[in-house]
Amino acid sequence: MWQNAYGLLKNNGTSSLSVRIAAFISALLLSLLCGLFYNTWKYEVERITQEEGGWHSRLYGEFTEEDMETVKNFANVKDVVVNEKGAGSAGPALDIYFDDMGSVFSDTPHIAQQAGAAPEKIAYNYELLAMYLVRDSSDPAPRLVFPMFLLITLAASFSLIVIIHNSFAVSMNARLHQFGILSSIGATPRQIRTCLLQEAAGLCAVPILAGNLIGIAGSMGLIQLSNTLLGSDIPGRHKSVFGYHPLVLVLTLLVTIFTIWISAWIPAGKLSKLTPLEAIRNTGELQLKRRKNSYVLSLLFGVEGELAGNALKAQRKALRTASFSLILAFLAFAVMQCFFALSGISTRETYFERYQDVWDVMVTVKDADVDAFGEIDRIREINGLESAIVYQKAMAKRIIAEEEMSEEMKSFGGFSHAPADDVTQAAGGRLVDAPIIILDDHSFLAYCGQIGVVPRLDGAVILNQIRDVTNPDFRHPDFMPYIKTPDPRENAVSILRQSGNEEMTARLPVLAYTEKVPVLREEYATINYYELVHFIPVSLWKEIKGQIGGAEADSYICILGKENASLEELNGLQDELGRILGGNYTIESENRIQESETNEKQIQGMMAVLGGFCVLLAVIGIGNVFSNTLGFVRQRKREFARYMSVGMTPKELKKMFCIEALAIAGRPILFSLPPVIILTGYMLKASYVEAGEFMAEAPVAPILLFMLAVLSSVALAYSLAWRNVRKISLAEVLRDDTMM
Amino acid sequence: MEILKCEGVKKVYGSGENQVTALNGIDLSVSRGEFVAIVGASGSGKSTLLHILGSVERPTEGKVMIDGTDLSRLNQTEAAIFRRRKVGLIYQFYNLIPTLTVRKNILMPLTLDRKKPNQEYFEKVVNSLGIAEKLDALPNQLSGGQQQRAAIARSLIYRPALLLADEPTGNLDQKNSREIIDMLKLSNRNLDQTILLITHDEKVALEAERIITVEDGRIISDQRRR
Repeated sequence: MWQNAYGLLKNNGTSSLSVRIAAFISALLLSLLCGLFYNTWKYEVERITQEEGGWHSRLYGEFTEEDMETVKNFANVKDVVVNEKGAGSAGPALDIYFDDMGSVFSDTPHIAQQAGAAPEKIAYNYELLAMYLVRDSSDPAPRLVFPMFLLITLAASFSLIVIIHNSFAVSMNARLHQFGILSSIGATPRQIRTCLLQEAAGLCAVPILAGNLIGIAGSMGLIQLSNTLLGSDIPGRHKSVFGYHPLVLVLTLLVTIFTIWISAWIPAGKLSKLTPLEAIRNTGELQLKRRKNSYVLSLLFGVEGELAGNALKAQRKALRTASFSLILAFLAFAVMQCFFALSGISTRETYFERYQDVWDVMVTVKDADVDAFGEIDRIREINGLESAIVYQKAMAKRIIAEEEMSEEMKSFGGFSHAPADDVTQAAGGRLVDAPIIILDDHSFLAYCGQIGVVPRLDGAVILNQIRDVTNPDFRHPDFMPYIKTPDPRENAVSILRQSGNEEMTARLPVLAYTEKVPVLREEYATINYYELVHFIPVSLWKEIKGQIGGAEADSYICILGKENASLEELNGLQDELGRILGGNYTIESENRIQESETNEKQIQGMMAVLGGFCVLLAVIGIGNVFSNTLGFVRQRKREFARYMSVGMTPKELKKMFCIEALAIAGRPILFSLPPVIILTGYMLKASYVEAGEFMAEAPVAPILLFMLAVLSSVALAYSLAWRNVRKISLAEVLRDDTMM
Repeated sequence: MEILKCEGVKKVYGSGENQVTALNGIDLSVSRGEFVAIVGASGSGKSTLLHILGSVERPTEGKVMIDGTDLSRLNQTEAAIFRRRKVGLIYQFYNLIPTLTVRKNILMPLTLDRKKPNQEYFEKVVNSLGIAEKLDALPNQLSGGQQQRAAIARSLIYRPALLLADEPTGNLDQKNSREIIDMLKLSNRNLDQTILLITHDEKVALEAERIITVEDGRIISDQRRR
């Protein structure tokens, strides 16, 4: 009997194709997801091992050979390694590796006890252990990577069940009449259910395997793509090498089979419980429980619109996933495109364009003081270099007396808007931050020349401007003088104070108050608006650094190459700098064009990932539409026969189909547009990009393309369905005794 | 005045060994205002004849003329429009569109033609069929008898040349069956509606003024009762 029933299903081309496609898509998506998750997990483990080390637990302190032997001999300990420098400032340590990571938290305290280490000398590699789902309550960090993978896989499995169970339902409903007959001659519900599930297994075996294999290939392709797009340009990123563990294949197959089994079991369970009469009559036609009107479609398209609207309402449950997925996909895609367009405009204007003529290569010289840096002359001799400025940053404090404040600043309320963290009350005025930019002498003298001050190396230039804090538009800020400019004939001084020990002071002659800044890739007073920035030469810094201190550990070299220098030229400059500095200093360098390209790649990578997510959502929705339309002939032939019997022409029926397709694809677009407009408006407001400027670069083409792809896919699903529907013979349907 | 004329109508299904002849040379003529019952055993070909007369199927051979239209020459679209305007089909299982109200179901043939109903005629039909109170209900909210009345109203709304009823009482109890037949007779008498009724129920057939018996795809008797 069951072999016979399977044969019936196999012969039922449309619905079995729908089931096969559903199984294939599910297997493909789950396999892709699992493959990607495994590789992401693998990448994270590699990253943690590279950054932190692959140890599981660690004991700090000095240990003898005997202690080491004791630890080594502990059951479950795989290896013990002495770590002399890896433990940083905490001193030497013993890195312990376990055979079974699950016992790390219970075994390490015993090991520590035997090795004579106090409990506070124990450290765990929580991040690495969490990747193997080994957690302990003493780790406060959430460590959500692995649970997130599991959650997403479960969510994907659940979503697929919601989507594809309809395909199984349509396929099973197609033979309900036959199962009614079987039931009437004594087949039990369990036998019917088993039969239906066996059929599902028979149909899905090949698509599951094919989907899994293609999914693995797809995940490999995506890993390659991420390597191509992101490369190793991003600091801290290493190349991801594709890997696949047999256990992942087993798990993927299990998840896929579980998903498809549940999807088949839901309709099989329902059908097996029908009475023989219900099954023979097979009355599962689309019905409306309550009277509903499709005003809009009716108004736009007449009776065909009304019938299409009613049919969509009757199919609402079956199309719920499609509607939800398509709305979400379109919304996410459009918002993502607008966000990246806005972000691109903003980054370009506030960073790349703004600093285009300011820097070409930036070098961070690690743990180096500008006053001890002696390579600047050699750097300036590099061919193809326009200018090079060496500088270091330090932080000091300064008191601003009430009478020092400019009238403009007083007019917007002086310090009344200042947060308590930025400005504090002190004897004689308000204590504010005074960042010091220490320039090499040559650059400082050149800066003096730029601002029209007699070049001297014994004084400071003060950036005398403050932003109108009442204007939140960071793109178009209003600046005004911070402090009153003293009479030039007076010998103005600025008293800087050591941050944290304001009693320690240094008196600096003020060479000028200016609104012009040296050509550096720096922003001033962007977070703390009340900073009073001082530019000083390194010669002066040498004299006052004892009193002021507060210098950052690193120094910087800002290099400007020749005008319109190419990437190759900048790379050459970087190489030359590395050659000069590499021997004596630890340096990190970046160049403007490379950074712009990396930034572009990163954005493209992010857009590819997020876009892929949107496409996945859309595929889920479209898959639902396909699984629904492929079952149309079975499910709706009576409905179509009725229309034809009252005189509906094929053209009118086709029109109804087109309206249905348009409504399915168009509704998500219409529903998504208002939130997209609102969200984009909000983003425009937050980024202070002008609407006209955004509109000139609005991502209309990709959004339209996405829209068209969704419309075309739904249209394809309906055109395939139409090909089947037009084959319906009205006479055959009317001859069917069960037509009600 | 002749409204229906069949000449040598033959319908063959399948081919070769599986060939089945459902109708084998039917000659038939029906005049306007006649109430004809076609009776026959199951598989005799009566439903096939009704489908051909309703332009649902085309004859393999022969000619079918209804109100001056040769049905064998109609393409799919023309056949649909013919069904909409010239014949009213009533089925055993009513065939109402479940997603439309009774009113919209009744007006469907007119709506498809973008025509406005004659309100007076509409009211006359629904009142005489006793469904005026049920016009805003969905078909599944009505009893079987009420649904069949709605189906009759729909078949009458275009004032068709011919009303074809396929076992219209087959799914109804005795009381409802009686009422439906009375209504068909009423429309025959009051509206001068030509009716062709297919049934296997002799009692129902006896209500008609002419009874045609079909057997193995042929007309074996044609009796006028009064």
